[in-house]
Amino acid sequence: MRRIANVNRKARLLGPLAALLAVAMAVAACGSSASSNDGKGDAGAQVGPAQSGGSLTVLEDASFAGGYASGLDPATNTTGGANLPQMQSIFGGLFLLRADDDGSNAKIVPNQAESYAFSDGGKTLTIKLRPGIKFSDGTPFDAQTVVWNMLRDTSSPCSCAPTWQLTKKDPIVAKGDLTVVIHMTQPNGALISNLPISNVNWIASKTAFQKLGAAKFKVAPVGAGPFTVVSDQLSSELVLKKNPNYFKKGLPYLDKLTFKSIGGDQPAYQALEAGQADAYEGMSTSPLITQAMKNSKFTVTLGPATSPYVIQLNTMKAPFNNIKARQAIYYATDFDAISKGLFKGSDLPVSESFTAPGGLFYHEKVPGYLHYDLDKAKALVKELGGLNVQLGTTAIYTANQVITALQTQWEKAGIKVTTKPMQLPQVIQAFTGGNWQALLQTAGAWDPAAGVGVAFRFASTSPFTGVKDPKLDNYFLQAAATTDSAQRDKLYQQAAKYIAQKAYAPFGIAFTPANIVAKGVHGPGLTTPIPALAVNTQTIWDEVWREQ
Amino acid sequence: MAVIDASSAQLETALAATTRPRGRWRVWVRTWVPAGMVVFILAICFLGPVVLPIAKPTGGDVLESGLSPFSSGHLLGTDSNGNDILSRLLYGGRASLEVGITVNLIGLVIGGGIGAISAYVGGIVDTLIMRGLDVLIAFPSLVLTLAVAQSLGPSKRNTIFALAFFSIPAVARIARSSTLRLREMPFMQAAQLCGSPWWRILLRHITPNIGPQLISFAALGMGIVIVTEGALSFLGLGIPPPAPSWGNMIFDGQQSMSATPMEVVWPSVALLITVLSFNQLGESLRARWSGR
Amino acid sequence: MSVASGLLPTRPRTGFGRLGRAAGSPLVRLIVKRVLLAIPILLGVSVLTFWVLSLIPGDPARAMLGMNATDAQVEALRHEYHLDESGPQRYLDWLTGALHGDLGTSMVSSQTMSSMLADRWAVTFELVALAFIVSLAAAVPVALLAARWPGGVFDRISMLCSVTGLAVANYVLALLLVLVFAVEVNVLPAIGYVGLGQGLGPNLKSMVLPTLAMAIPLFCFYTRFLRGDLVDQMQSEDYVDTARAKGIGPWRVLWMHAFRNSSFGMITIVGLNIGTLVGGTVIIEQIFALPGLGQLLLQGINTRDTVVVQDLVIIFAAIAVFANLLVDVLYAVLDPRIRYGSH
Repeated sequence: MRRIANVNRKARLLGPLAALLAVAMAVAACGSSASSNDGKGDAGAQVGPAQSGGSLTVLEDASFAGGYASGLDPATNTTGGANLPQMQSIFGGLFLLRADDDGSNAKIVPNQAESYAFSDGGKTLTIKLRPGIKFSDGTPFDAQTVVWNMLRDTSSPCSCAPTWQLTKKDPIVAKGDLTVVIHMTQPNGALISNLPISNVNWIASKTAFQKLGAAKFKVAPVGAGPFTVVSDQLSSELVLKKNPNYFKKGLPYLDKLTFKSIGGDQPAYQALEAGQADAYEGMSTSPLITQAMKNSKFTVTLGPATSPYVIQLNTMKAPFNNIKARQAIYYATDFDAISKGLFKGSDLPVSESFTAPGGLFYHEKVPGYLHYDLDKAKALVKELGGLNVQLGTTAIYTANQVITALQTQWEKAGIKVTTKPMQLPQVIQAFTGGNWQALLQTAGAWDPAAGVGVAFRFASTSPFTGVKDPKLDNYFLQAAATTDSAQRDKLYQQAAKYIAQKAYAPFGIAFTPANIVAKGVHGPGLTTPIPALAVNTQTIWDEVWREQ
Repeated sequence: MAVIDASSAQLETALAATTRPRGRWRVWVRTWVPAGMVVFILAICFLGPVVLPIAKPTGGDVLESGLSPFSSGHLLGTDSNGNDILSRLLYGGRASLEVGITVNLIGLVIGGGIGAISAYVGGIVDTLIMRGLDVLIAFPSLVLTLAVAQSLGPSKRNTIFALAFFSIPAVARIARSSTLRLREMPFMQAAQLCGSPWWRILLRHITPNIGPQLISFAALGMGIVIVTEGALSFLGLGIPPPAPSWGNMIFDGQQSMSATPMEVVWPSVALLITVLSFNQLGESLRARWSGR
Repeated sequence: MSVASGLLPTRPRTGFGRLGRAAGSPLVRLIVKRVLLAIPILLGVSVLTFWVLSLIPGDPARAMLGMNATDAQVEALRHEYHLDESGPQRYLDWLTGALHGDLGTSMVSSQTMSSMLADRWAVTFELVALAFIVSLAAAVPVALLAARWPGGVFDRISMLCSVTGLAVANYVLALLLVLVFAVEVNVLPAIGYVGLGQGLGPNLKSMVLPTLAMAIPLFCFYTRFLRGDLVDQMQSEDYVDTARAKGIGPWRVLWMHAFRNSSFGMITIVGLNIGTLVGGTVIIEQIFALPGLGQLLLQGINTRDTVVVQDLVIIFAAIAVFANLLVDVLYAVLDPRIRYGSH
């Protein structure tokens, strides 16, 4: 008898406890489920006139936009391309990428610059500055300062330095107070497209830099942007307040803007649900994006797709120095299924080249692209006498899921696959060491020549390439050497066709991170889509406002 | 830092201390019910997938992702990659138990050996070993884990290595303090006087006496090891995906916990039941042995 | 085989009564001895840290400057941070600097370590201190109640809870706490640190959930330890029987005698736990967006900032070593026999 009683007691205690745990966790799933959201953001026109005032707290992923351990000085910020929110708020930028409220018609517009013009066959770039701009410390925003900035940026040992091919003598000069002339040895068609995510775009006050010194300037830099620094803890929290000397009348709308770094999408989602923050940029965990779309508290905005996944194959090394092995991968890969299964309801487009519907020079079909065909894959693998592949990626939730799905698909074709999610330094090391076989990455950008563009993954000069092919290089060089859009389009189409023909690397879904924003907060890039130049959409922070 | 050694003994007795059960039945129940549970858990994880008609833990069809429980062929549904959750739970349990048991065994053998020898030999050897352990205890495990992850890469073997490394010092301390107490016992002194070689004393007299305490300590450590294995994914170590372990299932699941809570709940519940069973078994075993 | 060399002090059975004598010279001698013992341990930890970090493949300078940098630029940075020197030489340089109070400059942010530590230490210190206070304050009464009626309902529940607490991953626990107390019942902040400058109330409010996330596993551990120790004493120690025979009530025996003795063990456990706890701040600070040392360490790891990582690891280790030192001394103050002990 006693024995039974004892067992029961144990069961009685264990049961409710497990149930409690289950209930507590299930609460997470509920939240407030109400109105569905189309996920395309709200159009600025429908929400009435913008209102001034208020403060905003924005969360950024500590491992991406929220990580700026090297500081915010444009000349030394190694992660500048990721830290768009902080850099744009403090410095503004010479040029910005803007789009219509539905994300279409994207183009580079001058901001602190007034205009630009190429001459000398694209080898000389003249940038005219907008008159009357002052840095927040009161010093003038003039050509001399811009030249000082650009020379400092281009000569910095930082990985963030622009790779402009400048002339030896007088590379960057000021003409008068408002004109900057850049002399290059080769035309660079993507220079302007690349600016909005390049550190050169952000102009710092020379006076403030000299006064503060390099180390302090990294923490509290001075620019001519919409906000000025109140306090800053690197990679933790940046508190900004309205710049009263801002050159655009009536802007910025917000009085105070705070960026907080947070460790992951799930904590960020919970913080938003708790009302601790008003926005989170760059949510990439797809189940949470779906969850947020169901939540009536939030506006979910997915940027127009620009960068498709690419399975980079190392063609310099076995097994992918053999075109048959590469073709087997093409035939074995079914991104349509991955789109339907992993990204339920998102209806992500699947690309056949290094662009996506939201970017320039996009074409849905690439002639000669090899599509999913399990039988052909099996046949090729058999012909090769088996195929062993190590498939890696940068360890992010979504990328991990995709390589797991790819592994399953490839194994169905008889390919033996080991997966290896890596941290970024390990990925870089794999590339420098050349000891990798297949890597899931993203390729392309709004402009294929900008950001993590096509050359980044395919040109033999890039350290992150799996391909060394003079013919392909030639396409890229030609495309970069012209500023004529029609010509560039033609060249990129040829390059895409060539990549497909050589089976250099299969492309996939173009996944874009989402902005999750509390209702009542609006802003271009935040609640209206703007194509991403690299990974995250660039928000135009001076025009962000909240309903009072 | 003799004080610490003194209280390690205290720690070990206290962690395993239980009310001395009165009556044969109670003793029987307290030992055999958790023992039965442990056997059941081991059986279902190691034999279950072989005997039962269960899908593979990996390689599921991505188009069948996110199925709810009681879907046809998937009792607990599928995860976001279309893998059967029940199957992952069983195979994951296999991996977790393997790691948990191996790490504890290594800790017991090496840590126990170091502690016992250190105490038995005494003198300068003892001092040196103990100071070395102090260094290891103060050394943050994070850094070693990171070094292992980045230089050797994630694998089950490297995970076990890293985890075992940090279970050794604690076990060694407990073994040492238990042995020190034993040394003063009359039977030990008798054995020494008889001229038994040191290794014989170690094996015949010390091991059987400090064993029970160490084993009950290890039973509690099981849960901690299994949970920590999952947290290692945070730093790029741990059982490499897509192979499941309870730890990496919990870690993966929590990354989207608001959307997919059950992916955390199932492995957590499995882990909890296992830890409770091992713990209860450890307590009872110790109570039985010490009661003798 | 000298018997004396390994003789352990047996379980102390004295109360706090002899505290008065603590100021005597044996105590000073003991403190000096313990401090001297801590030095080789600290040296050992720092050597080990340097060695382990040097095992991580890849050149931190190259990792920092990226692919565009020329070899000359990488070489210059390596030179600037003495990465081109031999391991032992670098260690000696670091040690010389550290002994002069110079912990170096971060490779990535160019900020001095001392300024970064000054900004962040208070967050981590508060988190760790609160976690200790809360967990101890909760563990003592629960353990006493459980030990008063061993095997009773309360005892069973508390034991079950404490094993459960140890089996739940702390990052899951942290997320659950936020879910319940910040999302469902919106009473506490989910993230962020409010400095003491903005008032004690808001400061403590911002620390409640992170503190609980750290304290609950500790509470479970302490409860389990203390309850076990108390039960052990109540059942096996002669003096408890003596006290009972004298007609002293059970609560009084538990509190005045058993708990007093158990507290010695508790102090030690607390000391041993500090190392683990400080390490735990890495994950908790990340989830709650707290700008503390744990966050800095993770950043240092992610950016391959060798200076930050090695300094923080050594600082974390030093905290653990000094906590144990403090425990030893406290122990000796409370228990005179160790002071006058054989070693």
